[in-house]
Amino acid sequence: MNNTTTIPGIKKRFVPLKIFIVVLVFVGLGLFPFMSGNRFYISMINEMMIYGLLAMSLDVLLGYTGALSFMHNAYLGISAYVVGLFLIHISPASLWMACFAGIIFTSIVALPVGWVQVRTGGLAFALLTLAFGMMFHTIVWKWYDVTGGDDGLMGMPNPDITLFGWKLGSTGDPLAMYLFTLVIAAICFFLTRRIINSPFGAVLEAIRENEDRASFIGINVRRYKLLGWMLACLLAGISGALFILYKGYIGPSTMSAFAGAGVLMMVLLGGLGSLWGAFVGAAIFIYIQDYISTMTEHWEIFLGLVVIFLVLFLPTGFVGLGDHLKRFRKG
Amino acid sequence: MGGTIGIIVDISLNSLVLSGVFLIVAIGLNIIYGLSRIMNMGHGALYAVGAYTGYTLVATGFNYFVALVIAPIIVGGIGLLIERTIIAPMRKRSMVYTLILTYGLMFFLDGMIKYVWGNKPCFIDLPAFMQGTLSILGTQYPIFRLVTLFLIAGIMGGLMLFLNKTKVGLILRASSTIPEMVSCLGINMSYVHMGAFVLGCIMAAMAGIIAGPLTTIDPLMGSEMLISSFVVIVIGGLGSLRGAVLAALLIGFVQTLAEFFITDLAMVIVYVLMAVILAFMPRGILGEGKFE
Amino acid sequence: MAELLYTENLCRRFGGVMATNKVCFSVNDHGLTSIIGPNGAGKTTFINIVTGKIPASSGKIFFKGNDITNKPTHDLVKMGICRTFQINSIFEDLSVFENLRIAKQAKNGGSLRIFSSKQSLRTVTEETWELLEHLGLKDLAIRPAKNLAYGDQRVLEVAIAMAGNPKILFLDEPTAGMSPTETKHISKLIKELSKKICVVLVEHDMDMIMSISDKITVLQYGSTIAEGTPEEIRNNQQVREAYLGKEE
Repeated sequence: MNNTTTIPGIKKRFVPLKIFIVVLVFVGLGLFPFMSGNRFYISMINEMMIYGLLAMSLDVLLGYTGALSFMHNAYLGISAYVVGLFLIHISPASLWMACFAGIIFTSIVALPVGWVQVRTGGLAFALLTLAFGMMFHTIVWKWYDVTGGDDGLMGMPNPDITLFGWKLGSTGDPLAMYLFTLVIAAICFFLTRRIINSPFGAVLEAIRENEDRASFIGINVRRYKLLGWMLACLLAGISGALFILYKGYIGPSTMSAFAGAGVLMMVLLGGLGSLWGAFVGAAIFIYIQDYISTMTEHWEIFLGLVVIFLVLFLPTGFVGLGDHLKRFRKG
Repeated sequence: MGGTIGIIVDISLNSLVLSGVFLIVAIGLNIIYGLSRIMNMGHGALYAVGAYTGYTLVATGFNYFVALVIAPIIVGGIGLLIERTIIAPMRKRSMVYTLILTYGLMFFLDGMIKYVWGNKPCFIDLPAFMQGTLSILGTQYPIFRLVTLFLIAGIMGGLMLFLNKTKVGLILRASSTIPEMVSCLGINMSYVHMGAFVLGCIMAAMAGIIAGPLTTIDPLMGSEMLISSFVVIVIGGLGSLRGAVLAALLIGFVQTLAEFFITDLAMVIVYVLMAVILAFMPRGILGEGKFE
Repeated sequence: MAELLYTENLCRRFGGVMATNKVCFSVNDHGLTSIIGPNGAGKTTFINIVTGKIPASSGKIFFKGNDITNKPTHDLVKMGICRTFQINSIFEDLSVFENLRIAKQAKNGGSLRIFSSKQSLRTVTEETWELLEHLGLKDLAIRPAKNLAYGDQRVLEVAIAMAGNPKILFLDEPTAGMSPTETKHISKLIKELSKKICVVLVEHDMDMIMSISDKITVLQYGSTIAEGTPEEIRNNQQVREAYLGKEE
């Protein structure tokens, strides 16, 4: 048969254009710090990329597996603390070892938590993410001797970013850190995209669509949900490593429920189930946060109102809005 | 010092009080969930609003017991407003969206609390007769905690009577089992959902005022209680009222004990216990339950 | 001929009600067996137990001589025990093609390949197209499943189960809500299928059952009250009473 190799699906037609745009954005971001010397924007975009990565990891979970995690920032926090502690106490110069330790440790913590969560099913899963997230928050907050409690983890060294003997610069240098974040975030984005479009990703989508039926076509739903969870926590771990290298500091507020709602809002802003939307959402959120928090201390009220507004009137986010417009133009 | 027996009495009474507060909040959540399949993330914040409203009423000269009646009515009104404006339009949408929506509601309410009452902790002034202590088996036990126990028993008894003996209670119980049939009998389900939500809010507010004198009233109390009541209903089995009673007793006891021995990381023990229970009984102690 | 699947005194209790009461049921490796009975006789409960949706209270189920009682659903599907649902249960937002492709993939393996594309599972893709062609769904392949007409969704429901290359297929009222023409189409499909594999059909459409079944089992109040060929069942006094009530 001739058409056995062409996979149907309307979305696919736009792929070349999409790849072109993504590459363009990547190159643009890469050139940005060389064209503009504005430290403030370089730093802000850096943060947007890190949170974008975190939001993307939540999107993998929520948009593709259909499982809601209220406090995905907990896994960013765990990884960041471990990387920080590793650099402070064990070896101040081994950047890669520290990141590796952080990501591995995050996965080790996430595994039993995920195992319990996937056994309980949809709604309880979501409630448990909040309970476990609060548990990690409490531990970090109260375990003063190790984490520095309320003060946060301080005295982070600035290791050099090196790869095979080639040196990019110190993590304390905003430009070097910016480029480092950009490269890592881009790699993660493309790998995740690849995973989502793989047979494995198809299984996750099937689970999101209809968990019951998925098990009746022979899918071990719990196992794949756990794998999806682990993938999301792994990505969160990577964003955590970047986070502490970029900030040089982490405190318990980064792991609070409030910060978790922020991540959720980034995903909602961007639109569920489109990986790049998470980055757009993170960018919008951080820009607004920066803008509003200078004007008022009651940022919570705005966050709440915007979340309510988004769910009520714009459940598909800005990406969805784009689709609506596209459809509208076509008639 | 009251000796070992005194400590045991202390711990058991304290854990009963704590369990009672958990129970009232958790049952409010369960009523809403059981009837309209909505998990209200803003429930903890409404509990806090109840406590703060009670504080303001007492501070402006109302009697504590009068506040105990007025504040739930006020919070019930707020609940009615919330239900009609943002919850009711969400009925048909997937559960993920209502979860996120009410999560937004939680932050909005928490923010409003900070805006209205500020960040400082507040204290409810108790009537004179409740301020002393009573000697029980060698320990000096605060009278208001005993009063609290009676109040909790009264509220639970009242709720049981309401659900089992009144017509409205009958409709609520029937709706939790076969909503389609109830709506066929000519009862507007929209009002049933509304009633459940308001009832849940009233329960939360009552718990808030009762818990007010036990702890300090601060902006964090809402989210802490939200998590605890989640732990209770997840362990007890979502929607199961009996399961909630068992789980509340268990969690109240474990938390009191843990707080007695290791102050700071007490909650961690509770979470670990929860994880262990759920690992063996993923649907909670009594499973997803009926409304009995 | 050895029995492909049989149950021994299978019971399921809901509170005080025995929804399935000591059912002994057996089927061979091909042919069409129908389960009939008045509403609430426990037909769907029986299928739910055998396919692992709900656990049995007591009794045993054997498949190819192995005890499979209370095994997880996905393991049963891998062995070749598939089913459809009374109420459509499809992957609504996915295309018809993807609905079947994922079912094929779950059967053939390869779900853990995380870095290759879906298209790389070539046999899965080819078999999916063959199945679409066979069922006449080829023209609808790229449509999202939720946009199909009800009858087509019903066919898709059966198709998803067929994609798993089952050895035994349980069909829970496949023609519910279908027009007579659609019913004819689907009953032809089922009859064809039953020449190769074992099909167990739960239906209310008596004409259809009587015309295509090889064997019929009648349930009432959770128990088997009769078993036999369509002709035997038609003349069975007990069955008449179950449906029409006693004539005094």
